[in-house]
Amino acid sequence: MTGTTMRDGMRVEDRRGRILVLGAGSSGLTAAKNLRERGFAVDVVEREPHLGGNWNIEGSASRVYESTRMISSKPFTQYPDFPMPDAAPDYLHHTHVLAYLERYAAHFGLDRVVERSTTVEEVVPLPRGFDVALTGPDGTRRWRRYGRLVIANGHNWSPKWPTYPGQDTFTGELLHSAGYRSGDQLAGRRVVVVGAGNTGCDIAVEAAQRAAVTYHSTRRAYWYAPKYAFGKPADQVSDLIFALRLPMRVTQALFQATARLVVGRYERYGLPTPDHRFLETHPIVNQQLLYHVGHGAITPKPDVDHFAGDEVVFTDGSRVQADLVLFATGYLIRFPFLPEGLLPGGARPQLLRNVLHPERTDLAVIGLIQPDSGQFALVHWQSVLLATFLELDARDPAAAQRYLRDAARHLEDRSQAGIALVDSTRHLIEVEHAAYARDLERDLAELARRLAAVAA
Amino acid sequence: MSRGARVRGEKVQRRLDWTFPPAPIEREVVHARPEAPVPGRPPVLCVHGAGMGAWAFERWLPALAAAGWHGVAVSLRGHGGSQAPARPATTTLRHYEHDVLQTITELPAPPVLVGHSLGAVVVQRLLERYRSAPAGVLLSAPGPDHGLALLGALARHDPVTLARGAVGLRTRPRAAALVGPATPREEAQRLVERLQAEPALAALQVTLPRRRPVVRTPVLVVSGGEDRIVPPASVARTARLLGTRAHLFRGLGHALPLERGWEDVLDLVLAWLHRTVAVTQET
Repeated sequence: MTGTTMRDGMRVEDRRGRILVLGAGSSGLTAAKNLRERGFAVDVVEREPHLGGNWNIEGSASRVYESTRMISSKPFTQYPDFPMPDAAPDYLHHTHVLAYLERYAAHFGLDRVVERSTTVEEVVPLPRGFDVALTGPDGTRRWRRYGRLVIANGHNWSPKWPTYPGQDTFTGELLHSAGYRSGDQLAGRRVVVVGAGNTGCDIAVEAAQRAAVTYHSTRRAYWYAPKYAFGKPADQVSDLIFALRLPMRVTQALFQATARLVVGRYERYGLPTPDHRFLETHPIVNQQLLYHVGHGAITPKPDVDHFAGDEVVFTDGSRVQADLVLFATGYLIRFPFLPEGLLPGGARPQLLRNVLHPERTDLAVIGLIQPDSGQFALVHWQSVLLATFLELDARDPAAAQRYLRDAARHLEDRSQAGIALVDSTRHLIEVEHAAYARDLERDLAELARRLAAVAA
Repeated sequence: MSRGARVRGEKVQRRLDWTFPPAPIEREVVHARPEAPVPGRPPVLCVHGAGMGAWAFERWLPALAAAGWHGVAVSLRGHGGSQAPARPATTTLRHYEHDVLQTITELPAPPVLVGHSLGAVVVQRLLERYRSAPAGVLLSAPGPDHGLALLGALARHDPVTLARGAVGLRTRPRAAALVGPATPREEAQRLVERLQAEPALAALQVTLPRRRPVVRTPVLVVSGGEDRIVPPASVARTARLLGTRAHLFRGLGHALPLERGWEDVLDLVLAWLHRTVAVTQET
């Protein structure tokens, strides 16, 4: 037995034969499912009293709002072995996503293994395995010792607040999109939406229909991709372009030409020209923003310079009065329950294929990617990668260590398909989905080879 | 894993399904539930062969339920009571794969997958994609590299069907080619008359060489000794590639779930399922 068996005067429950998955959202569920499928014994703990993570609007850490809909179409979004129902539309509403996740959990028997209303308070790494302090639904704290830890706590919940001069003395309301739930919060007010992520654009569109006036402040000029092109979900069209496997510059030129064809010139709507190539920022998929700009319901503005009383002053010197400034400025990656330094790399954890710890075989993170496409499908394959790797580790720990060493040589390969992403915290975990899928497929083939060699 | 296996990983990239996802359709799904369900027992989902429909398992389903299993059969698009696609000519095996996978997601738990003939090819594809199935049963399953054997058998036993198929005419096999000698001629003829035309591309795909399946699921492979459509040698090849042996039923033909003697086949399947499918345990 390693280390102490007592903590806080309590016996540590020995669960070293099991894997602990933190979180029962879209990532934790597929991690648990794929690990169980490979024969691993799995416990899942979930802070909320229900499953679904971000997609359960009731959840305290949920960041969906009433109008949230998918921005990637079904084939890219769904778990590949559990497709979204034929009856569902191309782009699912968040309530449909939650129903889908609940069906996934029920089908694979996961709803029975999730311990709900259970919070991870503390994680103490041992030479091998972890002691984990949990608080259950009854509020009592207890310790357990696990052989392995899989972190799937999500990365879109801890709001990133910008700071501008005069912000503290602004007389209107300041709100982060984390606290945004419904268009009622905008009704009849003078609203400045800051940020042109997909959330910022969604809220600007909603404000255009509910608010008294709407200003949309963006740091730079972006590409706005349509949701439909040529009568198909646009991501299904754009993947035809990806499938050509052309040089990235040519691909980008084709995308830009398609955007020109389908959307037209942004300048014509009164928006500035994008200062970067297509795909160099996380794609914004919104067909309605330009429509409302064209109807004068949204006034584009540059970055905020400072606040002055009830006014917001922009970097071009223009100033507007506002009742509400809504920061749709994104989220920070945080693992508050982990000791500092357990994950290498700081703000952007340095993990193999964003999943495996480069040294520890008992620690992995699932779901820590921001793809330019659907999330669940790629996270499924992350989980299969992890399960295959753990199978290798279970059969031959030395072979698993060799794999980590070999894979670490490509630690800097971030599956971005050679795209020069604009430098921003927003792109810390950005992956280009086609490249990431290709890399995962290669990794899985390599692991299968090594597994076969061990088995032989 | 059988000898000389080339190791392959998972198919992550599905470009065709990403860019041209199969169009949604209304499906016919038939259920036969046991009166006293056995807790933890998976459902058994049956996939019919070319030209048939969920009705291909009309004898099996009640018998499955009587034996305490939840039997389910789905009609692939354009078959039985399922909606026909707008352009049947473009229907391929991946569309059928979609239809079965959609049906799987509607079941309360991962099902045992049973496939007959073309349906067995669809099930093999699914066993590589949907790894949670507790078991697979392949009836009259053509080997992945045995297209020529199929065409050869057809040329020997039913050249008219082959010739009509080759020039794209609607075609149905001869009764004598479809069933074994135990089934009376009139019964066989009625069966042939229920068959519908199989879209040419999907039928052709069955005869084309396919990647050998990499399957971890336990699989039972069954062949009719007098099968004139998928010869026993082709089924044996399927079994070998899956690392198992084919069970041969002498006197039976190609229509294993329907022709005289189907009870014996089902008895074998049930006995195997009892041995293979452990009642779901909490792990």
